Amino acid sequence: MSYTLTTLWHDRQRYLPGVLAISFSALLMALQTGLLLGLFSITSLPVDYAADNLVWIGAPEVVSVDLGQSIRESTINRLAAQPEVIRCEPYFQGFAYWAQRTGKRELCMVVGSRLGEDTLGPAGKLLTAEDRRKLLQPGAIIIPEGDMERLGVAYKRDEQGRIVEPRELVNATAEVNGIAVRVVAVKPGIKSLAGPYIFCSLTTARALLRLFPDQVTYVVGQCASAADTEKVVKRLRAQYGVKDKQHSQVNIDCAPNGDVAVFSGAEFSWQTRMHWLTKTKGGYALGYAALLGLIIGAVVTSQTLYAATAASLKEFAVLRALGIPRWRMQFLVLGQAFWMGAVGLLLALPVAWGLKSVAEMSQVPINLEWWILLLSGSLTLFMAMAAGLLALRSLRNVEPATLLR
Amino acid sequence: MANEFQVPLRGENLYRSFGEGDAKVVALDHVSLDIRAGKVTLLMGPSGSGKTTLLAVLSGLLRPESGRVICLGEDLWELDDKARERFRLRHCGYIFQGYNLFSALTARQQLEIVLRWGEGLSASDARRRADEVLDLLDLSHRANARPAELSGGEKQRVAIGRALVKNPELLFADEPTSALDWAQGEQVVALLQYAARKRGATVLIVAHEERIKKFADEVHHLQDGKLLEEPDYPAIVGHIHANSSSTKLVTP
Repeated sequence: MSYTLTTLWHDRQRYLPGVLAISFSALLMALQTGLLLGLFSITSLPVDYAADNLVWIGAPEVVSVDLGQSIRESTINRLAAQPEVIRCEPYFQGFAYWAQRTGKRELCMVVGSRLGEDTLGPAGKLLTAEDRRKLLQPGAIIIPEGDMERLGVAYKRDEQGRIVEPRELVNATAEVNGIAVRVVAVKPGIKSLAGPYIFCSLTTARALLRLFPDQVTYVVGQCASAADTEKVVKRLRAQYGVKDKQHSQVNIDCAPNGDVAVFSGAEFSWQTRMHWLTKTKGGYALGYAALLGLIIGAVVTSQTLYAATAASLKEFAVLRALGIPRWRMQFLVLGQAFWMGAVGLLLALPVAWGLKSVAEMSQVPINLEWWILLLSGSLTLFMAMAAGLLALRSLRNVEPATLLR
Repeated sequence: MANEFQVPLRGENLYRSFGEGDAKVVALDHVSLDIRAGKVTLLMGPSGSGKTTLLAVLSGLLRPESGRVICLGEDLWELDDKARERFRLRHCGYIFQGYNLFSALTARQQLEIVLRWGEGLSASDARRRADEVLDLLDLSHRANARPAELSGGEKQRVAIGRALVKNPELLFADEPTSALDWAQGEQVVALLQYAARKRGATVLIVAHEERIKKFADEVHHLQDGKLLEEPDYPAIVGHIHANSSSTKLVTP
């Protein structure tokens, strides 16, 4: 075992606070980022679960899929006119008020797709054929299972309070924007952020969102390939697109008198998440918390190393007297910083998975993707090494002459 | 004039003071002396007489304000810091009053680290040489012990091993026995005497204990930063194993 590991292991109690601070820092960063991405991916869920290779057309300057304004349904002709577009259809999405029979009101997000098997909307991937068949009835809706309580809907229970099988819904009727709706099914695994998703047919959605018969929120068209999608998006943007002042990176090269916003599915999903990330204070708060974790980790690690090095100053001074160059000792301290970082990360990993599982049990999505772990791991290791560099200042006090009394 | 082989260490007109104004204390007041090769030279004097300062200046650890130190033919204080560091690495060993051993390292590792970091030796070579020195110090059975498991005498012997393991031509010891009882102190000085006799090292010891004198070949007395007259040449009484063929120096 090297001297670095020998000293770390022997004085492990001394180094433990630094290792724990590094663990804490890495955990905070990974979980915050995962939570952030998990949260904001909820907002782009209808785009992410729509059909592949879609071109989206929405109201000008739409910043996020959930903030779409109405456009004329005839806009669909522009999509249909593109030779690469195989199929096109309208899509509805918008905020509405859910009113329980008790009078309690709740914000909800109406999502209306065509219900055919080849639907381009999220109903294709999120709902089963049986679900879509149920939604054909006027006023029929499907809600996420996790939002039942929020919307006042419950499973029927027996006198002992156990859910009666087969499951049956009670209090399944309510009003959305004053229109009567009935919950025909619940879907597990779908999360919501601002308001629960309410899945329904195009007809029901138009009624719930109180849109005129010639109005829709989006029109979507499917191309055969991603390359075709890109081509169509570019062409439509040049013909009809409005220059988006807020998101100029997306809608550039637009028509001088454009009246719509045009996106590919990937662009729209990204824009939606970025809108929530940059426009909500929540994104900044989470970012600051991660930064704070990094700073706390750096300070504790640096102080731990500084104190440990300072405690061995006389031993280092003897080595200096014997002519051992100073860089050997600097390498030892940096090596200690590296291994503290590595051990800290190793400790953080199982805890991160544990916390992720706990969060998911309470329906909080955490996206702990490999690149998040890699990024937070690298940043933490970098932080540990920086802390090591800071701690090197204690070695400046190593002076062999101080050993002579 | 004696050549560098007979006088490996020479101080010429060394002057060093501390503090300024009224608080100024002259620690070395134009001291000149020769330290002979293969001998144990003792620097003695009352507290504050400047003996430790003289050792620091002669050993390349503390710069004099004026005067020269000629060490193995080099003008020590004319060398730049890096060159002086290399000089110390090649030629000097130090033993201090405190043991200053790394608490995490075993006795063997305290010696190995000097060879591996100083001379860049491989792990196996460093271990072999460390074990040779530990054997010489009768510490083989304590090779895997950490400082917390060693007695004061054993710790000081490890500290001596750390100084000896490089085979230095010059060995400097500052009050090496002050923290030890006389029996242990005697063993320690005997080891230093062995380094002078058997290895031909030039050994300079700062001490205040009169009993050490019997191990010394030459004793210089300092008072108020000045050397007193001629050095003593005490009769070497009872120097342990000096002429013996045994390499083990520490009697149980």
